[in-house]
Amino acid sequence: MSETVAEPAPGPTAAGAPAEPGTIAHVVTRRARAHPDRVAVSGPDGTLTYAQLDARANRLARHLRAAGTGPGDTVGLLAHRAAETAVALLGILKAGAAYLALDHRQPAERHRLLLDDAAVRVVLTLGEPDAAGLEGRTVIAPDREPDRSAAAGHAPDPVTVPAGAGHPVYIAYTSGSTGHPKGVCVPHRAVLRLVLGPDYVTIGPDDVFLQLAPIAFDASTLELWGPLLNGGRLVFAPPHDLTPTELAALVHREGVTILWLTAGLFQRVMDLGPDVLAGLRGLRYLLAGGDVLSPAHVRRAVATLPATTVVNGYGPTENTTFTCCHPVTEPPEEGAAVPIGRPIRHTRAYVLDERLEPVPDGETGELYAAGDGLAHGYLGSPGLTAGRFLPDPLSGTPGERMYRTGDLVRRRPDGTLEFVGRADDQVKIRGFRVEPGEVEAALTALEGVARAAVVPRSLPSGGRQLVAHVVGDDLSTLRLRRRLAVSLPSYAVPAFIRCVPELPLNANGKVDRTALAREWTPYERPELNDPHRTPQTETERAVVALWTDHLGIAGIGADDDFFEVGGDSLLAVSIITELGRGYGVEITPLAFYIDPTPAGLARLLERRSAEREDG
Amino acid sequence: MAHDDADDRIYKVVVNHEEQYSIWPEDRENPAGWRDAGHRGPKDECLAHIARVWTDIRPLSLRQRS
Repeated sequence: MSETVAEPAPGPTAAGAPAEPGTIAHVVTRRARAHPDRVAVSGPDGTLTYAQLDARANRLARHLRAAGTGPGDTVGLLAHRAAETAVALLGILKAGAAYLALDHRQPAERHRLLLDDAAVRVVLTLGEPDAAGLEGRTVIAPDREPDRSAAAGHAPDPVTVPAGAGHPVYIAYTSGSTGHPKGVCVPHRAVLRLVLGPDYVTIGPDDVFLQLAPIAFDASTLELWGPLLNGGRLVFAPPHDLTPTELAALVHREGVTILWLTAGLFQRVMDLGPDVLAGLRGLRYLLAGGDVLSPAHVRRAVATLPATTVVNGYGPTENTTFTCCHPVTEPPEEGAAVPIGRPIRHTRAYVLDERLEPVPDGETGELYAAGDGLAHGYLGSPGLTAGRFLPDPLSGTPGERMYRTGDLVRRRPDGTLEFVGRADDQVKIRGFRVEPGEVEAALTALEGVARAAVVPRSLPSGGRQLVAHVVGDDLSTLRLRRRLAVSLPSYAVPAFIRCVPELPLNANGKVDRTALAREWTPYERPELNDPHRTPQTETERAVVALWTDHLGIAGIGADDDFFEVGGDSLLAVSIITELGRGYGVEITPLAFYIDPTPAGLARLLERRSAEREDG
Repeated sequence: MAHDDADDRIYKVVVNHEEQYSIWPEDRENPAGWRDAGHRGPKDECLAHIARVWTDIRPLSLRQRS
């Protein structure tokens, strides 16, 4: 336990030095001693200097230690984006524990599942102490009494805990093909290798990062610890979902210098007008990734932001945020993909064949990642871990492992790697990894569902959505959607649920996914007189989803006329019957025809439900 | 690139100095630092065996500290 109790000597990390031993907590403490009055964090709730952040986190750590939390424990965190969130995260790490961030947009049942899986006893909450799904656990709410006073009563100097570079920092859950999410267990060493003396960006005390990604998602690792471990400033965006225009304005206002966006958001930002994009000119680096980048948008970024280095960042959660990075020095040619580049420092990337031998340059193989970024594995799942973390046959150090990414790549003549596709069924939906098998398992667990096949569908915009084909008795997609919404994160709920009599099989007797993908495509919403309005209320969203499933039309708006988008009286009857059953009310065709729009139906449902309750 | 379903090769269970278990093709020499842990067979069987014997995925050096 020697390395952990002694504080490593203060001082900045020399670029190119190996990741220093110790933990995130050690490094932040050193930064706080080196420049206590520098602003560390700002957010909608205020600003903290390094000294304030460090002292507050130390007090919280002592409070957590008093609650019995320490090395080897995982603490749940349920918080919105705010400066206080940095205190909470750092407090958990200073207590020697790891964090498991919950996403408040995810259903309570999923919170329960993840907290049970990670054996979490203590949950820190900010702003929502009564959130569902936390029953039976110790809830600590440092923004309220009695926890606020209790934490404030502790000493502000660092607590000594036996935690080192090999201890877990966080557990990040990703989709599992068998229907159970997998908790990736990431050690401090992996995060230090990502943000201390990196070679894909330079980070210094003058840099400002924006915190935008859900903390439950591994993209947040760079956003949070990139600035705080280098003496920079971390800016928490407001808690609501920002529009691309709001985002650009915030970047400009806060003087953000390093911005990391998921591919979908990057694309939406790059679609903004030149006036708005001018707000991004202060960026030194614009990193984008998490999914395939659109070359056209990368070209636009390079052309619009001459002083900014645009970087394609690639990597699975299991190798901690980035495995490879590609700074775009030459705009990609028309029709050419944006490479994922070369492995970052302290990271190795191999292109191997099925026998785990290197393939010649230019040939397609599977990408294996190795080095200091590797996770320990999947929490509580040794079989799954052993199947993906294999012996590294190419390392100079005996006994090392490499992670099988499942991504197919090839090495280009210039030595950079190019993403070719997936070796399995995994897809990215809005930047989140989804295993169709997990969605199928969630569907077949529901009453009445006999079989289900979930296939991805590419959108013209470059994104993807899921289509579920379901076989069963007396199915209602309204009911299926309600059930899925409590067990799956929102991005994993299919865009379309089709009830079908049977699933096509291939020659091997397995579900023919290719045929399913080929034989069914939704219609696009026709040109209508009324503009498209995104559904606002819960009921409007439910009605739009039901129309989408029944009509097979993408992009239905809340004010769209049922008959103008292609509905007929037969479909109308099945829709109002399903709604009537789902909401426990009666809707006549006549009542529907008076205002045959999702908004009209939603009002009708809410009125009838209220009448029923009144008497 | 074989889909896992289609992987019909024979593997052996191997283990390193951190008592991390994994699998390796049966007909290939172990990479440096890995030794046989006794079990051979199809991938699924090897992984099921590992699921029984490897009860804590933390590396040994970390387990010994706590």
